[in-house]
Amino acid sequence: MRTASEVIRLEGVSKEFRRQKGRTLRELVACLMAGQPFWEPFYALHDVTLSVAEGETLGIIGRNGSGKSTILKIIAGVTAPTEGRVYVRGRVSPLIELGAGFHPDLTGRENIFMNASILGMSNAQVRERFQDIVSFAELWEFIDMPVKRYSSGMYVRLGFAVAVHCEPDILLVDEVLAVGDLAFQEKCLRKMKEFQERGVTIVLVSHSLEMVQEFCHRVIWLDEGRVRAEGPPEVMIPLYREAMLGHQMAQEAQLHPPFGS
Amino acid sequence: MARSSVYHLGVRKSFGLADVVMAMGELWRRRELLWHMTIRHLRGQYKQSVLGYAWTVVNPLSQMLILTFVFSHLVRIQTPGVPYALFLLMGLLPWNFFSAAISSATGSVAGAASLVTKVYFPREILPIAAIFTKVVDLVVGMAILAGLMAYFGHPPAWTSVWVPLLFLIQLVFTVGLALPLAGLNLYFHDVSFLVGVALTLWFYLTPVLYPVDMVPARYEWLFSANPPALFIEAYRRVVLQGISPGTERLLMGLGISVATFLVGYYLFKKMEPGFADSI
Repeated sequence: MRTASEVIRLEGVSKEFRRQKGRTLRELVACLMAGQPFWEPFYALHDVTLSVAEGETLGIIGRNGSGKSTILKIIAGVTAPTEGRVYVRGRVSPLIELGAGFHPDLTGRENIFMNASILGMSNAQVRERFQDIVSFAELWEFIDMPVKRYSSGMYVRLGFAVAVHCEPDILLVDEVLAVGDLAFQEKCLRKMKEFQERGVTIVLVSHSLEMVQEFCHRVIWLDEGRVRAEGPPEVMIPLYREAMLGHQMAQEAQLHPPFGS
Repeated sequence: MARSSVYHLGVRKSFGLADVVMAMGELWRRRELLWHMTIRHLRGQYKQSVLGYAWTVVNPLSQMLILTFVFSHLVRIQTPGVPYALFLLMGLLPWNFFSAAISSATGSVAGAASLVTKVYFPREILPIAAIFTKVVDLVVGMAILAGLMAYFGHPPAWTSVWVPLLFLIQLVFTVGLALPLAGLNLYFHDVSFLVGVALTLWFYLTPVLYPVDMVPARYEWLFSANPPALFIEAYRRVVLQGISPGTERLLMGLGISVATFLVGYYLFKKMEPGFADSI
C-alpha cells in the first residue's frame, strides 16, 4: 500500500530493452525472411520495487550497467517500464546531463527560457526567477551571447542554475556534479543541502560513495537490474565496498591464478 | 503546468480516444514550449547562410521563374483568365509548405535525441514545431504573390478571406500525416528517404503545374481523393477566380483532415513510450 507521504513508488518494475538488430527496412525484411525475431530482448531492470518518501534523499549505487540510470529515466517519465507500475507525485526536475536542451545559436537568456519551458515552467515564472538564475550561474556579462561561445563550465553552470530554479518537488541527480570548477561544485552541494532542508525529495545516482554517505538518508544497491540490498548509508556503504573489493580480487585471481594451480 | 501532477505509468493495456483527448489537453498546457521550439527551429534554419531569411523570398521566386518559362513558354499549358505565373505560384506555395513541413517533421524527433532521452515533454511538440516553422515561408510567399497579382493587374479577389480557414484545414491534415511518420522514423531511418521519394511522386500527381481541368475524366478520382489537390484547387478558386470554395468540398477537406489528424495523433501517442529506447 502507498502511504500518504510517499512521492515515488515503483512496483515490480521491469524494463526490457528491445535491441533492434538493424535500423533499415532491408535488415527487417532479411530478418523476417530468415524467420528470426527482429528484436533482441535485454533486461535492464528485474522486478524492482522501491518507494521514496517526501523529503527523503535516496541514493542508488551499483556498478556500471546495473540499471541506475534506467530507474531515473523511468521516474522522469522518459521511458516506460515493460512491466510493473510507477507512481510519481509532484514536479520532477531531472539534472541528467545539464544543458541538453540548449541551442548553440540562441543566447544564454533565450536558452534559459527555452530550457525552463522544457522542464515545465511558464514564461511568467521564468521572468520572476530570471535574476536568481543568472546570479546563480554567475553569467551576467555573457547572458546575451550565443551559448556556442560559452566554455563548457559556463554551459554546465547555466544548465544547473535553470534546473534548480524550477522549484522541483523531486530532483533527480545523475553524476552531474563531477563537472565544473570546485567553487561551483561547492555551490551546487550547498543548493542541494538547501533543497533537503526545504523538504525536496532527491534521488541521487553517484559513483562517489562519499557524496552518497554525506547526502543520503537511505541507499539502494542495484546489481544487474535487481535490488540487492537496501538500508541506511552507514550499513550499505561498507557492505558495498567489501563486495566491490571481493569482486575485484576475484577478477584479479582469474587474471593471475595463484602459484601452483 | 505540471505543478503537482500525479501520473501513473505502467504497461498500457489500451490507448483510446479518451487518451487522445487527454494528450491534446496536455499539449495545450505546454503551448509555450511549442512556441519556444518553433522559434528555436527558425533561428537555426538560416543562421549559417549568408542571405539568411532572404532565402524565404529567393526560393519560391526562382522556382516560379524557371517553371513559368518551361511550362508556360515551352510546354504551353493554358490557364484561361489568369497569367500562368500567378496560377503556378498559388499552387506552388501551399505545396512547398506541405512538402517542406512533412520532410522536416519526419526527422524532427530523431533529430532531438539528446532531449528525448533526458527529459519528458509531449513529443508531438517536436514535429508540430517543425511544421509551424514552415508557416513563415508560406506567409512571406503569399505576400509576394499578392504583390505580383497587383503588378499583373489581377489583384486578389475578396474571397481571399477564405485563405486562413483553408490553411487551417491544410495544417491539420499536414500535422496528422507528419506525426506517425516522425514516430516511425525512429524505428526505421529509411522512412525519411521513403518520404522524400513519395513527396516527389505526389507532386506530379497534384495539380500544381497544370490545371485540374486538363485531367481526363477517367483519372479524375485520382484528384478528388488527393487532399493537397483539394486544398490547392480551393486556394485557386478563392484567390484567383473569386469564387467560394464550395460547401461540399470544404466539408470533405475538413473531414479528411480531422480524420487524418485523429488517426495520426493516436498512432504517434501509441509509439511514444518507445521513443527514448529507440533513438
